[in-house]
Amino acid sequence: MLKLALKSLNNRRVSVLLTVIAIAVSVALLLAVERVKQQVQQNFANTVSGTDLIIGPRSSQTQLLLASVFHIGSMTNTMSWDSYEQISSRSEIDWSVPISLGDSVQGLPVVATNEQYFQHYRYADKQSLELTHGNWFDASKQAVLGAEASEQLGLAIGDQLTIAHGSGGLSFSEHEQHPINVVGVLARTGTPVDQAVFVDLTTIDQVHGLTEDDSHGHDHAHNHPTESISAALLGLKVKPLALRLQREINTYEQEPLTALMPGLTLQQLWKTLNIFEQALNGISVLVVLIGLIGMLTILLASLRERRREMAVLRAVGAGPGTIFGLLVTEALVVTIVATSTGLTLLYGLQWALMDVIHSRSGILFSLYPPTVAEWWRMGLVVCAGFLLSLVPAWRAYRQSLSDGLTVKV
Amino acid sequence: MATAVELTGLTFSWPGSSPTLDINHWQVAQGESVLLRGASGSGKSTLLSLLAGINTPQKGVIKLFETDLSQLSARQRDKFRADHIGYIFQQFNLLPYLTAVENVLLGVKFSKHRQRKLSQSATNTATDYLLRLGLTAAQQQQPAAQLSVGQQQRVAAARALIGGPELLIADEPTSALDADRRDNFIKLLLELSAANNTTVLFVTHDVALAPYFNTHVELTEISRAMPDAELNNA
Repeated sequence: MLKLALKSLNNRRVSVLLTVIAIAVSVALLLAVERVKQQVQQNFANTVSGTDLIIGPRSSQTQLLLASVFHIGSMTNTMSWDSYEQISSRSEIDWSVPISLGDSVQGLPVVATNEQYFQHYRYADKQSLELTHGNWFDASKQAVLGAEASEQLGLAIGDQLTIAHGSGGLSFSEHEQHPINVVGVLARTGTPVDQAVFVDLTTIDQVHGLTEDDSHGHDHAHNHPTESISAALLGLKVKPLALRLQREINTYEQEPLTALMPGLTLQQLWKTLNIFEQALNGISVLVVLIGLIGMLTILLASLRERRREMAVLRAVGAGPGTIFGLLVTEALVVTIVATSTGLTLLYGLQWALMDVIHSRSGILFSLYPPTVAEWWRMGLVVCAGFLLSLVPAWRAYRQSLSDGLTVKV
Repeated sequence: MATAVELTGLTFSWPGSSPTLDINHWQVAQGESVLLRGASGSGKSTLLSLLAGINTPQKGVIKLFETDLSQLSARQRDKFRADHIGYIFQQFNLLPYLTAVENVLLGVKFSKHRQRKLSQSATNTATDYLLRLGLTAAQQQQPAAQLSVGQQQRVAAARALIGGPELLIADEPTSALDADRRDNFIKLLLELSAANNTTVLFVTHDVALAPYFNTHVELTEISRAMPDAELNNA
């Protein structure tokens, strides 16, 4: 039966092939939506894996989270260094990393921070940052590049760069009188860290002309490296305290501040984006359906030409049930072949676009075997193909019953 | 001699029309070759579809080799046809995307009974039959669609006879052939049938073929019905 179905399909290979391609592309799309969602969420979660709280000036939690860690969007306000120091010196705080944002190097974000960043920032499975070349900066006018930034800027240790104000690619106010030396390059992390340029907090103020004098640096413990920062990452000694601390910071009296728990805020973000995901899913389901209806069309259209074929099969003793089975088998073969082609297509695309996506967005699309959710989607496609095939199969069944052996062609 | 086909008190009418067939009694002995002649539209095809078990009569009994077809379910009749009946159409007998040999093998595909009756492998039997019917080894491997009409009918004959069915039903198989090929085809068909002791029921409107057969029957002799179709086609 399978052999007969295959030969019959081969006989109509052009239209069958086109149908297979249509379904395969639609299946690839369906799987891609799921896969992009998974990878983006995984990637975002990886990026904040070690941080318990993020604090910053009063703003929406999503804005603060996206700007501080993912370098998406910008912060309009700053928080004072005094508030940062007060909060970070609290006994519940294990470590804290101040971050100042808003500048760029040829469109890549500049993260002004201190050595705490290198020591305490964690990504993915609680991994710490590593340098492939050089050291973390220990003075102003030094920069450490993320792996991707180093590649895109074409800079290595010993090279110099200049910082532009603002985050656009082209800025009219490049601070050219303040060349900064590259002293280190970070290992690849698959997070937005890869795109960033890291400098000391004091460096930013210098290039902005706030502290002209470089001589009394930040080596005094009580000296402020800067007046204000964009945000701070906090690590707590006791994680369950996060909720209480968040409430306290949100009601901080000296200054309006926002505190957020990254994991929770991401969850809320995904929830708000859920509607778009649903829309994309809906569209890809429709595309799959269109592909399957294409298959239904060629099967139905072929029935008329195949009345003879059915009569011949009846003559050699095939029952109408066999005819029914033959049509279902053909549809199943088409759907299964198309679905596996779609899966292959997905992997091919992912493999081909992996580098581009990583360098553009910092999201690393790792290749992994299909997840349960993806198997489900593929299974549902095959089921839908099977259900739709019942239509031509039923018609062929009726037709072979009424035609019997006497077809007038 | 045992009877191959026995019809008793049979009437059949298509929905909404007067009886197409009305046969009081008709029988064919086993091993006989019968030419059944009737004008087009006289109910020949209807009779054949009853014998093949595709349709069932409203009244009467159809016995093939002592099996009463009316006692069988549709599925059992399909199986009976696969096991005991070879069938040749007027034309378009073959699945165009299968080779000649594969088309012949269809004859035993749905019947364990006929597979068991083969003395050698099915493929060997098929090539053997096709050789005897005059198809070269190369032609046997060609897709059926590329064969001439004459060759296609010979492939159909091989398929109908492989596995030695007890009854061969041929529905005007020579109407698309010219006189020379027609005579040659009938000779080969009857030779192979005789070798298998297969009863042949050959339906045609061409009375000139009668000398090849043991018996010549006019459908109007056995069936009293005067179908409308005949008037329409006249």
